Amino acid sequence: MSVLAFVLLAAMLVTYALLDGYDLGVGAVVHLFARSDEERGAAIASIGPFWNGNEVWLIAAGGVLFAVFPRAYASSFSGFYLPFMIVLWLLIFRGISLELRSHYPNRLWHDFWDWAFSLSSGSLALLLGVALGNLIAGLPLDEHATFVGSFALLLNPYALAVGAFSLLVLALHGWCYLRMSLPDAPVRLSIGRGLSLAVLLLDVLVTALTIVAHPMGGPRLAIAGLLGFAAFAAFCAAGIMLRREKSVVAFGATSAGIVALLGAAVATVYPYLIPSSTRYPGLTIFDSVPNSAALAGIVPVVVVGLIIVYTYLFLVVRRLIRVRDPKNVGVSLAE
Amino acid sequence: MDTVAADRLQFAFTIMFHYLFPIGTMGIAPFVAWYTLKATRTGDERAAKSARFWTKIVAVNFAAGVVTGIPMEFEFGTNWAAFSARTGNVIGQPLAMEGLYAFFLESIFLGVLLYGRERVAPGFHALSAMMVCLGSWLSGYFIVVTDAWMQHPVGYLIGKDGTVALTSLWAVLTNSFALWQYAHVLCGALVAGGYIVAGVGAFYLLSRRDVDFGREFVRAGVVTALVFSALTIFPTGDRNGADVTFYQPVKLAAMEGLFRSEQGAPLAIIGMPNVKGGTLLDPIMVPDLLSFLAYGNFRSSVVGLSAYARELWPPVELTYYAYHIMVGLGTIFIAIAVLSALLLVTKRLYRSTLGLWMLMLAMPFPYIASEAGWVVTEVGRQPWIVYGLMRTSAGVSTNVGAGEVVFTLLGFAGMYFLLGFLFLFVTLREIGHGPDPHPSEGQLLRATAQSA
Repeated sequence: MSVLAFVLLAAMLVTYALLDGYDLGVGAVVHLFARSDEERGAAIASIGPFWNGNEVWLIAAGGVLFAVFPRAYASSFSGFYLPFMIVLWLLIFRGISLELRSHYPNRLWHDFWDWAFSLSSGSLALLLGVALGNLIAGLPLDEHATFVGSFALLLNPYALAVGAFSLLVLALHGWCYLRMSLPDAPVRLSIGRGLSLAVLLLDVLVTALTIVAHPMGGPRLAIAGLLGFAAFAAFCAAGIMLRREKSVVAFGATSAGIVALLGAAVATVYPYLIPSSTRYPGLTIFDSVPNSAALAGIVPVVVVGLIIVYTYLFLVVRRLIRVRDPKNVGVSLAE
Repeated sequence: MDTVAADRLQFAFTIMFHYLFPIGTMGIAPFVAWYTLKATRTGDERAAKSARFWTKIVAVNFAAGVVTGIPMEFEFGTNWAAFSARTGNVIGQPLAMEGLYAFFLESIFLGVLLYGRERVAPGFHALSAMMVCLGSWLSGYFIVVTDAWMQHPVGYLIGKDGTVALTSLWAVLTNSFALWQYAHVLCGALVAGGYIVAGVGAFYLLSRRDVDFGREFVRAGVVTALVFSALTIFPTGDRNGADVTFYQPVKLAAMEGLFRSEQGAPLAIIGMPNVKGGTLLDPIMVPDLLSFLAYGNFRSSVVGLSAYARELWPPVELTYYAYHIMVGLGTIFIAIAVLSALLLVTKRLYRSTLGLWMLMLAMPFPYIASEAGWVVTEVGRQPWIVYGLMRTSAGVSTNVGAGEVVFTLLGFAGMYFLLGFLFLFVTLREIGHGPDPHPSEGQLLRATAQSA
């Protein structure tokens, strides 16, 4: 039951990374993609109907983590008090900038919120990567499995490398999304190429660093290494497809790459939710659960909920990307 | 500052600020659904424009609600880790369900409502408006269920290490305490929705612009406000009060400022509690009425604060004043709504300057009443975080110090000041643009003729 609960939680977090990943990525690259005010407006309008729903994956996953692994939830959230608050403030700022931009047709207003959106999105992509890096490397925990390190400790070179990698991967993911949804926008193709090359470079670097910093046994190493390599192949494909202007395929490829990378991360730490770097043990998916009977209550509820959500997400997205009158896209708010 | 106080202050501040936005969403979303449905079915131009106008207002509300709502879920873990680790298996469930069953519904269909007019079939568009409304109401339900469990825990088992484990999700979801509390909360939001729609309509009528819309909004708003102010008091407020009387008598005593147990207890209309002396200063009392309201019998005995150890009292002043502000405002809402409805029926409201000013100025007060109601519920629950089960002081994160909390509280204060300012700026701007920013010539001529 614990394993099933973990699989559900992981599926939700992967969905979050894929979906909010592209709109965070759009934020990171919006100034590279679009030079003029109108083009930036179109780029932001392309995620307009979706970003809020995408962000709900984080909230829902937080709720599920709370319900199924309360100890891990309590220990990680209170342990990372300041970093989590900073993430919160960035999320708030980003939400405000996306929502308010269209309400006032003024150049300065647009410029301000575009930069707010871009900087907060980029910082979030970086910080989420830093958090993941720290989880992979293990955390200094005390005997209650509570984080006892400092804020500065979280900004170690390995975590920062993972953070930079995350920023670049999501930037490429967002770039593919923009190329896919606004195929006629004039862009410099060299930016897509540069992003793909940087991602490939960091893929190799981070995979190598992980193997060095986190010595693993045979099968675990094999799986993580294989998935890291699969991600490399996927990002290669994305770069090539971007060059051939097949942006839908490229977006699929970056999505596959992200799934592979997160799979590699799971393979590295499983069954730990919060691995420890000290002599005290971390929290695994088995010991952060109160009892299995309680899990048997929530797991079906989550499964049914996920089926419903995936169903209408499919119905809605299919309808929203089908444009009836291309001239009227995104004007509902601007009028 | 001691850590528990800092944690409580931060939670109180962030949740009270957050709750301003769900009130608006839950209260206005049904108007959006109604106008969208009407426009789809009859092709009525005015309904279509009204729907678009209120959709914009709801969208800003919703976005502000989302960005201020995310911290709430985080804060359980960051500031209340001991509470979360112990009870998370129960209270995490309705929160997870809120995300999965309500939040997705609301946010995904809001995307359709805002961006889909040109992309989806009209029927699907109208369905989306209803889904947004349903989502916001469901979301409220899961939150009230979470809170009701902290007021009146059900469906759980305590393990050897003191951890609370869920035994019946159904019992938690159908907690008797939650049902009336939710009905009361939702009615409160609809009173707010009614007064906002009526107030904006009154603003247009008084400014002699968008007159047709103004009349429509005033009428729809007044009817809604009337129906739901009545329902807020009876039966929902009354039944919710009965639950408090039964399960939390000490909270009732604090709400009413009743220090000594009495047979035929009087109801204090006004008065200032003097907690040290155990009396009400300068009170106006109605004899025996409290006994009747609590038990339906004028001679029933009502338990006073002095029957309980001092450490089990909630903060008396805050509970007492919040309750009296809520009830006082509730009475005023009924009065304004009845008066406006009378003027409406006799066809004088649209021309009554005084009546319209009253409606316009009444707009902020349902917010204050709703917030005050929550203060009664949560401050009156003290010193418990889960009633009878766990003390608030035992729920905080032991690894987070007061210094950190004060820092983040200041951060939230700054952030929310900015957010509140921008929210008002954008909302007032949309109201200023009005439901019909590009009226046709015929409508302009009529509007000029009417105002002349």
